[in-house]
Amino acid sequence: MLDALSGKFPVSVITGFLGSGKTTLINKLLKRPDMNRVAVIVNEFGEQAIDNDLVEVSSEQMMLLNNGCLCCVLRGDLQETLRDLFVKRRNGDIIDFTRVVIETTGLADPAPVMQTLMTDDMLLANYRLDCVVTLADAVNGIEQLDTMQEPVKQAALADRIVITKSDIAGEETTAKLEARLRALNPQAPIKRALNGEIELEFLINVGLRNVKGKLEDIERWMGEPDEHGEHHRHDEKVKSFSLRFTEPMTWNSFSQTMEVLSTLRGSDMLRVKGLINVTDHKGPMVIQGVQHLFHPPVELNEWPSDDHSTRIVFITRNIPRETVANLFAAIGAVTETA
Amino acid sequence: MKPTMSPQGQAAQTISRNMKLISHNELAGFGGIGEGINMQVTKDGRRILWLAHESAPKNFTAVDVSDVKNPKVICQTDLPHERVRSNSLDVVGDIMVVAYQTKAVGDKPAGMDIFDISTPEKPKLISHFDASGPNSRGAHCVWFVDGEYVHLTSGSGDFEPTHPNDFQFYRIIDVRNPSKPVEAGRWHYPGTHKGDKDAPPPRHPKFDGGYRPHNILVYPERPDRAYVAYLDGGALILDISDKANPKMITNWRYSPPYNGFCHTVMPLMSRDMLLVTDECTKDDGLDWPKLGWVVNASAEKNLVPMSTLPLPPLESFVKRGGRYGAHNIHENLPGPASFRSDNLIVGTFFNGGVRAFDISNAYQPQEVAYYVPGAPKLSPKGSIQINDVWVDENRLIYTVDRFAGGLYILEMDI
Repeated sequence: MLDALSGKFPVSVITGFLGSGKTTLINKLLKRPDMNRVAVIVNEFGEQAIDNDLVEVSSEQMMLLNNGCLCCVLRGDLQETLRDLFVKRRNGDIIDFTRVVIETTGLADPAPVMQTLMTDDMLLANYRLDCVVTLADAVNGIEQLDTMQEPVKQAALADRIVITKSDIAGEETTAKLEARLRALNPQAPIKRALNGEIELEFLINVGLRNVKGKLEDIERWMGEPDEHGEHHRHDEKVKSFSLRFTEPMTWNSFSQTMEVLSTLRGSDMLRVKGLINVTDHKGPMVIQGVQHLFHPPVELNEWPSDDHSTRIVFITRNIPRETVANLFAAIGAVTETA
Repeated sequence: MKPTMSPQGQAAQTISRNMKLISHNELAGFGGIGEGINMQVTKDGRRILWLAHESAPKNFTAVDVSDVKNPKVICQTDLPHERVRSNSLDVVGDIMVVAYQTKAVGDKPAGMDIFDISTPEKPKLISHFDASGPNSRGAHCVWFVDGEYVHLTSGSGDFEPTHPNDFQFYRIIDVRNPSKPVEAGRWHYPGTHKGDKDAPPPRHPKFDGGYRPHNILVYPERPDRAYVAYLDGGALILDISDKANPKMITNWRYSPPYNGFCHTVMPLMSRDMLLVTDECTKDDGLDWPKLGWVVNASAEKNLVPMSTLPLPPLESFVKRGGRYGAHNIHENLPGPASFRSDNLIVGTFFNGGVRAFDISNAYQPQEVAYYVPGAPKLSPKGSIQINDVWVDENRLIYTVDRFAGGLYILEMDI
């Protein structure tokens, strides 16, 4: 009866390589007049974190900015901070925020942040993941991808990628990084930003906002179309591929297959997004998972177009496409469209 | 000032979740509305919202809400004097009934008016049903949904209560001939009328709200049942298959330990449940908690509470001024412009605003939306006091302030 998505507060997660300019970007966002009624969770009120002339009132943990945006420091864990914000908002103790932006630390794995929103009942009922934005530093990005695990994962999990410092790195290096990132995560649109300047529209309203099943919303959420099915890249470990099934499948087929996959290889299933055509359901079932965990499925009111086939996008580490396709055939008894 | 706000700052701020203001109308400066709201769809297709005022000088106001972004007051009437209030009204087709309750016993007009509202700009009085008398203050509430009978919370000239707080009881008024309304039956709580064989019921030890009906609900699906909230007497179901002789089937009494003033008993017909609300009647949290209860009614003679509607904690609202707690809900009235749901409940909570709950899991109701307007100008309590609500068939919400704010039209995003 109720729309399972529309009433929830969208959450954007801003993650990025060390030194990639997250603070600069957030600072710029905080100055925008259209960022009012946004609660921003930052790691600390650092020296250069927030310009003093923006701050209307502040306490140790919270600042109200003069554009109506609330900025608060992450206390304890994120789960507690998000719960606390919700309760304070409902009690009318703080501004009536309509969106949450979370800044993660440079070394953070974004997966646990995303999983927090899927595992806590209270958060699940009141928030929804809107978008993971990953910042990549054009100067050091390639080296970071070569030598560290975290940047690879941050890029692989992103819905949107922002390349920073391209003016310092130069076009050639920036283009290389962009190609590398595109291969790593072909679904995520990539933009360049200088000094944290980027259109807000690029970073918000990515996740599905309601169950109406509009084509443009679904395309925006699923990411850029993947014509080739599978991408091989420089870093052979992380793969992105999609599966497509024309025939409807039972919910059992789908869930059992995914259960086996996540039991055996959960930590290597970085991100999964899909529309599932489930037998006897009018609209598609929207599924999304991060490693071992899946968000409860949400049924849309209707299919966005005449194409009613199941589409699932996987970003995995060391799991080839055919392994997943074979599992669907063996366990789910469904085979891909010829 | 801190990033968190003072109670006055909180009261001044509008807060909302999943409800958006479409329009606001201060009703020509008379923005205090009681608990009578109903929507008429006229023969020429206009949508007219009828509102009974909380207190004199105004009687009722009609607002043309055909364009919800631009509501227009098309009629506003006066009471004959300051010692009477209307508070409650209902509409069926082009007939409207309005209650009149006086401040003191013996005063007039006390009872009910019946109007022809086929031209909403010019309501025509058809008849007056007189309920005045030496022990009567007239009528507090009307329920009129079938075009034939009004279920009236009222005193009468011949009723002599055993306690002065018990001056109203349940009267069924036959209005099939609207120019000659006549009583078809009546019922009062055992022991509240002088001469009853039952002893008078015990008074509430802290807040003697009395033994009177508040809302009396009867639906076309169950014409043989009346769902009655009887203030300190709790929730009742009466068998009214013989209107001349109503009989009590069940009575769920929960005060004490709770603080009385049972206000509404609404059946959730498809689920064999009731939604029962209390009325908060004291400022500053004195009678907290005042709740909305989900009640299992599948064994009609043994009503059992299952859960209550979750509200923000008392301390968040108690210092903002005025009342904070349960009151009216949208009552799933039949009629062309009324929302009906046994899963989505929309209720009013004074300075807690208007709030919507998903009760599809009756053991764990969830709050899904709310709108708490900032304190209206000239609000005597320093806060909003949302009093009553109507939800139309398109799920638009029409809610009203008790003193000054007038009408707020809202859209839900759930």
